[in-house]
Order: sequence, then structure tokens, then C-alpha cells
Amino acid sequence: MVFVLWAVATILFLMFRLMPSNPLAAYIDPTFTIEQQAILMAKFGLDKPLWEQYFIYLWNLLHGELGDSFFYRQPVGQRVLELLPNTLILTFSSLIVAYMFGIIAGAWLAWKRDTFAERVSIPMVLATRAMPEFWLGMLLLAVFSFSLGWFPAGGTRSPGSEYSGYLALYTSRDFLAHLVLPALTLAIYSQGLPLLLMRSNMLEVMHEDFVTMARIKGLSNWTVVVRHAARNALLPVMTSFAISVGYQIQGNVVVETVFSWPGLGRELVNAVSASDYPLAQGAFLMIAVVVVLMNLLADLLYGLLDPRVSHA
Amino acid sequence: MSDNILCVKGLKVTYSVGTARIRAVDDATFDIPKGSIVGLVGESGCGKTTVARALTRVMAKAAGFEGGEMLFDGVDLLGLSEADMNKLRWRDIAFIPQSAMNSLDPVYTIEKQLNEVLIQRGGMNRREARARAEELFDMVGIDPRRLGDYPHQFSGGMRQRVAIALALALNPKLIIADEPVTALDVIVQRQILDTLKSLQERLGLSVILVTHDISVVAYVCDRIVVMYAGRVVESGDTETVLTQPFHPYTMGLYNAFPDLQSSEGLLTPIEGHPPDLSDPPDGCRFAPRCPFAQTPCSTQNPTLVEVGSRHVSACLRVDEAQQLREQAAQTQTWMGAI
Amino acid sequence: MPELTTARKPHALHWLTRRFARLQIPLDDPFAVTGLIIYAVFILVAIFANQLATHDPLEILYSETYELSSNLRPGEDGFILGTTSLGRDIYSQLIYGSRSALLIGITAAFMVAVIGTIVGLLSGYFGGWIDIVLMRAADIAFGIPFLPFVIVLSAFLEPSIWNVVFAMALILWRDTGRVIRSQVLTLRTRTYIDAARIAGSSDMKIVFSHIAPNILPLSFLYGSIAIGWAILTEAAISFLGFGDPETISWGYMLQDAYASQALSTGGYYWFVPPGICIILVVVAGFFISRGYEEILFPKLKD
Repeated sequence: MVFVLWAVATILFLMFRLMPSNPLAAYIDPTFTIEQQAILMAKFGLDKPLWEQYFIYLWNLLHGELGDSFFYRQPVGQRVLELLPNTLILTFSSLIVAYMFGIIAGAWLAWKRDTFAERVSIPMVLATRAMPEFWLGMLLLAVFSFSLGWFPAGGTRSPGSEYSGYLALYTSRDFLAHLVLPALTLAIYSQGLPLLLMRSNMLEVMHEDFVTMARIKGLSNWTVVVRHAARNALLPVMTSFAISVGYQIQGNVVVETVFSWPGLGRELVNAVSASDYPLAQGAFLMIAVVVVLMNLLADLLYGLLDPRVSHA
Repeated sequence: MSDNILCVKGLKVTYSVGTARIRAVDDATFDIPKGSIVGLVGESGCGKTTVARALTRVMAKAAGFEGGEMLFDGVDLLGLSEADMNKLRWRDIAFIPQSAMNSLDPVYTIEKQLNEVLIQRGGMNRREARARAEELFDMVGIDPRRLGDYPHQFSGGMRQRVAIALALALNPKLIIADEPVTALDVIVQRQILDTLKSLQERLGLSVILVTHDISVVAYVCDRIVVMYAGRVVESGDTETVLTQPFHPYTMGLYNAFPDLQSSEGLLTPIEGHPPDLSDPPDGCRFAPRCPFAQTPCSTQNPTLVEVGSRHVSACLRVDEAQQLREQAAQTQTWMGAI
Repeated sequence: MPELTTARKPHALHWLTRRFARLQIPLDDPFAVTGLIIYAVFILVAIFANQLATHDPLEILYSETYELSSNLRPGEDGFILGTTSLGRDIYSQLIYGSRSALLIGITAAFMVAVIGTIVGLLSGYFGGWIDIVLMRAADIAFGIPFLPFVIVLSAFLEPSIWNVVFAMALILWRDTGRVIRSQVLTLRTRTYIDAARIAGSSDMKIVFSHIAPNILPLSFLYGSIAIGWAILTEAAISFLGFGDPETISWGYMLQDAYASQALSTGGYYWFVPPGICIILVVVAGFFISRGYEEILFPKLKD
């Protein structure tokens, strides 16, 4: 895992240093003299040879030092950590909704195998997986915000509102109202994976001997389908949750942009557009850390949920 | 009302696969006397497992009853509503599956799986269930401290003991054991069969033991029911049937299996395969493989006839049984029969 | 569709049927057939875009009285789907958008399938350090957030639709590679592979004549999924403003609509059609791959 993070950080370093344009182009005023430019280059350590820059970069990373944002003139680490909760709240709220819906609907569709309901539902579910997330966001925005006026159009709070702290903000009605549309967009997009996974696992598990045995034991339908079949079918679905968090964090980029949601993804897009490379680098790394952590969590989760692994 | 816990009469079960209709059980008739172990024996594909599952009425979607009766304690199981049948399941008719590994839910401890039947089906409270679970583990010879273990933590033989404990949980009137020892090695097989037999004697259980292994039947069963191609071809007391078989198939089957206690003697397999049940042959279904088949055998359908005390056989040549037995004892009789 | 163009040439047709039999295209699966029909229509539209479009998609249009034909509703002044706020014809943009989608989809799918298959083959067949290196590389690729990576890459390179293809080739081989590797590992243990090895076949011959044909459907499956991914990714990149402004794509149309306030003015006719087109094409890929899954994983069928 450390290896993967190191590799990602290195690739990132190379990408940012080898790009054709001068990394300070956005920072340097055209009126600066050559000397002033050189001083700036020195300040950011850009006058040193590449390998030396690389070791400084790694050393700084190990100390959580991500440099200063050109645009905000504040430490990137601080900025990124400020935005992380927004992204995580959006990701987790949407995924929890998506998984709850997907698991139940998936089990239900397995139950309804070869019925009209199943034949209609499956293409619809596939269609939600085929949608560009931002397009779905645009559609929801146009309908529920602009046409119906039920929800605000973007951001995390209404203009002019003040909150004493993050907790007060995150628990306010205003924040929740802002959260609904972006979270719904991501939830609609994400529910397909748990749904289809749950469905196919259920179909497989329903053929297992222990499910047949549960029937022979005369246990109630609920016990057979939920306690035995669904509980077993759930294992890989729960594992996929962690992986979904990783994927979703990447997918958030576009949805955060549509809803002007101040998260890591939108920050990355803005930073890249503004050539604010320390900030872009920081946001990218933060996202990569979440992805790698979630891949790791997926493995751990599987061990935790499956007694065959945890009680070996 | 008789001394039989179960009377199966003319049972027919058909699988529909695509347009084909496979008559897996076609006119099966046999009785299970109270308090005895009855071996239901035959090659794979003869319908014995289908019969076992049919008795629980939990079958594959493709399977359906086509007729017959299953009188359990005088009540026809086929006439019961699904809800009434479900009340009977496990409390009156329990099941020991072939592979306990796959039949135990891997994500729950054994205690939880025992509790499920003891509490949900047996109406016990948690304390009673715990006591009963410990008692059951004692009975089948497992340390009750292992109740909290998961199925994968047990060995194959232990899991089969767990399966027996589960079957005994609610003191059922009838236990159906579907190939309960097939997946085990011979030594463990004997241990499990000994346990099963002693419990059966002690508790006066009625057991149907489905197996392809006639030596298992010889070892533990009071009575034997021999099935071939979906039909019962012979049934009677184990000792009588095995020493004085009336059906050539029983004779052949006996030759084809080693004794559970000794592996001496030459084994003679029956050549060929059971018939395709989507298109079974006319007349006696064993005729194409039978070394004693005569012209009428391929047209005339033999019915079960009384050949001795509580001993029936379905062969057109039952009257010549003594002579056939002598020939059947010779290996060359079975070679080149087809 | 190849079937249409070669219908009059029995030899080519025969050759094609044989090839297709190898790929096991699931022609009896209604989903897969629907998917293939959508692809066919979409490819035809892309090929005949010049004939089907009514206007130049980037041309700013004026009415006969020299007024800017902007924000027209569908049907107004003969514009089938109306016009953009700059007076461009939406219908023609939609038609031309299929071209970029087709180009990106096919090339990206091809790259992903080819690279993934080669990696999987080498890794699974040879094992050892080749396997270790390639699978470590896959681990890294799994650690790189895909969309952010494409964004950064697109920002550094000249704006072009090929950036997406390039990025996909760099990253998305990982899924295909891993799956094919495990497939190769199981194939390797089959007796006929042993037989071929004992008979003195070279590694290359075994890989290409015995293993590769068996994993072809799997590569095809991942390829057909990659088509959708490529189109979706291109749309996202264009939407975020890192696309090529000179190339009309469905993502570009959506970005244009979003940036021009079409959402608040109820311009559904502007941003709904490109979305529908994307969904149709991507879903067609899913349908085809579903048909494949039924072939590859038949246990789900019964």
C-alpha cells in the first residue's frame, strides 16, 4: 500500500514537473524582471536539479507538507483538509442511500426472476449506469431547482448564512437542502452496482444447499430469504462498498462541479484550470490516498464479514 | 393405521427440462415401519434422492408431483396445504444432507443454526435451546464447548455429526438421511453409522437412509428398498433380501460393492448404464442390462409381487429366483450381458 | 455492420461467420441484439453525418432578416432540435457528435482490450518476475484516480479528443489485465496445454494458438465495456472544459448548454438529447457484454 502511494506520488511528480509550460506561469506577473523570477524559482525550489527536487518533494510529503497554493496563498494541506469533509459527506451520504436501495432492490429482483418487473427493471438499471453523472445532475438541477424551486442550485449554504462551526453547518437544514440534489445524483448513478451485484449473488446463493436445507427445516420465508440467502449474498456487496467509495471520490469531480459543491474534485478542476499546481497536486494526492485506503479497506472488510476468513 | 410411519404408494415425480419430461420417480411403492432404519438403495440417477426430497416437498423448481400418495402417520403429505406441510417439516420429518459442509450456512455458528430450529420451530426460549443444544452435542459425541464454532472449523466427520444433531433437534418421527456418509472415508463412515445406529436404537427413531452403497445398508439397515430407474424393484428385510434376493438387479448390486468390514472378494460391476428417464424402455426397465432377460421382459411390465414374508420383488422370473441366484454368483454371468 | 456490406460475397461472409463464431457473439440474446442494432444505427449516423446534418455544427446561423438564430425552440424556423444560445444548430451538432463518440469509443476499447490482453497473457502464462512486475503495475494503476488523472493529463497536453484515449490506455488496462491473467492461469493447467508443451510447441505458439483464442471473448467483453467508459470519460472531460473546442462532441454540447444557462432557462431540448445519445450508446455496450456474461458465466442462466 505504501508502495502504491509512493508510486502514485512519483508519477504525479513527474507529470507536474515534465509538463511543457512553466509551472510558475500563472504565478508570475509579466512585469516581473528576470531576477525577480529567479528569486521566485529559488523560493519554490525550482532552480535545483530534478532529482533533488524529487527528494525534497518526497521528504515534504512525508511531513504532510504539500506546499502553498499559488492562488489562495495558503498551505495546500490546510485547504485540502478543509474540503475533504465536504467530499466525504457527499460521497458517503449518496453511497449509503445507493447501497440501501440497491441491496433491497437487488434481492427483490432476484426473487422476481423471470417476471415482467425484472425484464423492465434491468434495462432501466443499466441505463442509470450508462448516464453521464453530470448530465443527470443537470437534469435534476433543471427540474427540481430551476423549474420547481424545491432545492437550492448549488454550494453548501445559502448566501449570507453564518454558522458557528463545521458541526453547526453540517447539521443545519440549509446544508441538508443543498446536499439533496448532488447526493441524489450520485446515489442514482451508484445504486446500479450494489443492485446488480446483489441480484446475481442472490441468484447464485438461492441454489446453495444451505438455502434448500433452510426450507426443509420449515423456516419462515423471511428467514430463508433474508437470514440465509441475503446474508450470504451480501458479503461481496459490502466489500464493494469500500471500492465504490474509491470510485465515487473520482466521479465526484464532475458532480461537484455541476452543483458548485466545494469539495476536492471541484477544487482539483479549478486548480488545474488556474494552473495552481501545488493545489492540484495536493487535491489529486488526497483523492489517491482515499482510493488506496478504500481498496485496502475492501480487503479488510471481507475478512471481517466472512467468518471463513476471520475465524480461520 | 398400521405400524408404518410412512407408506409411499405409486409415487411419480417428473422433471421438466425444456420440452423433455424426465420421469425421475415413476410408480415407487414402499413402507417405512416405525422404529426401523430402512435403506433406500440404487445407482445414481435411479430416483432415490428425488424420493428423499419429495418426502419433504422441497424440490427443484423443475420438479413436480404427477401422482401417488405419501401417507405419513396416516396423512397424505401430498394433500396438505403448503402451510400445513411447513408445520410438519423438521418437527416430524427431519433431513440429514449428503454434504454437511454445503448444507450449513457458513456465516453462522452452529449454535445459531441450532437455535434457529429450536426457537423458531420448536418454540423454546433461549435457555431451553442452549440446554437442548448441549444435550444434542453430547448425544452425537461432540464437545458442547464447540457450539460457538463455525461450520468450516469442523472436520468432515464432525460436520456430519452436527447434521445429525440438527436433525434430532425436535425429536422428529422420521429422519431422512440422504447419502449421509458418502463424502467420508471408510473409517469415519463406520463411526458415523455406529452413532446413527445407536441413536436410532436408543431413541426408537424411524430413519430412511438413502445410499448407493449396499454395504452401508447391510451394515445398519433393518430393511432395504432397492430402486432402479425410478421404480422400486425389490424390498424386504435386509438380511432376507441380501441373502435371498429375488431381483437380478439386487443380485448384481450386491456383487458390485465391497463389504464395509472387509474388502475381500472380487467385485463385479453391472455393465451399462441406467436408462434415459425421459424415454424409458418398455417392459422391465432393467431388461436391457439384465443377464437373465427374456423376450417378455422387454414388453411386459413386472409388478411387485409378494415373494416371502414382507418381501416383494418386481421380476417376471421370480419363480426361478433360486436358479438365477446361483448363476448371478458367477462373474462371467455379468460379462457381456449387453 | 459487416453483415450488410459483405452480404453479396459468400467467401467473406463465410470467413466472417467463422470469426464471429469464435467471438461467440450472443445473437440469440434479445439484449445483445438490441445492443448491436443501436451500435449499427450509431455507426451509420457517424458515417453519413455529412448527409444527415442540416447545417454546419459550428456555424453561427442567421435568419433571412439577418437576425441571430439563437435560442430557438425545436421546430422553430425549421431547426429540428432548435438552436444554441450562439445560434448553432443542435440537431447537426448531435449528428456530428456521434463521430467523436465513435472514434473515441472504438480506439479506446481497442487499446484497453489489446493492452489488457497482452498484459494478462504475459503475466499469466510466464509468471515469475514478469508477472510480479506487471501485477505491481496494475496495483499502481488501481491506485491512480482515473478521472482526476485524465483531467491533469488533458490540462497539460494540447486539447484533443485523443487525450482520453491515451489516458485510458495508460490506466484502464488494469481490469482487463487482471481478469485475463486469472483466466490464463486456469487455462494453463488444462491437459491440452501440457500436451502441446510436451509435443514441443514453443511458448509463443501455445500462447497464440491455444490460449489466446480462448480468452478472446473475455477481451471482447472488456472491450465493449470500455467503449462506454471512453464515451463517458470524454463527455466528463469536455464538460469540465478540458476538451477540444474545435471538435463537436456530446460532452462539448452539454458543457456549452451548462455554461450558457440552458438549465435555468428550461432549455431541455438542448441538453437532454446529447445525454440520451450517450446513454443509448453506453447501454448498447452493456447489453452486448451482458449477452457475453451469459456465455462466459452460464451458471447464472438457469
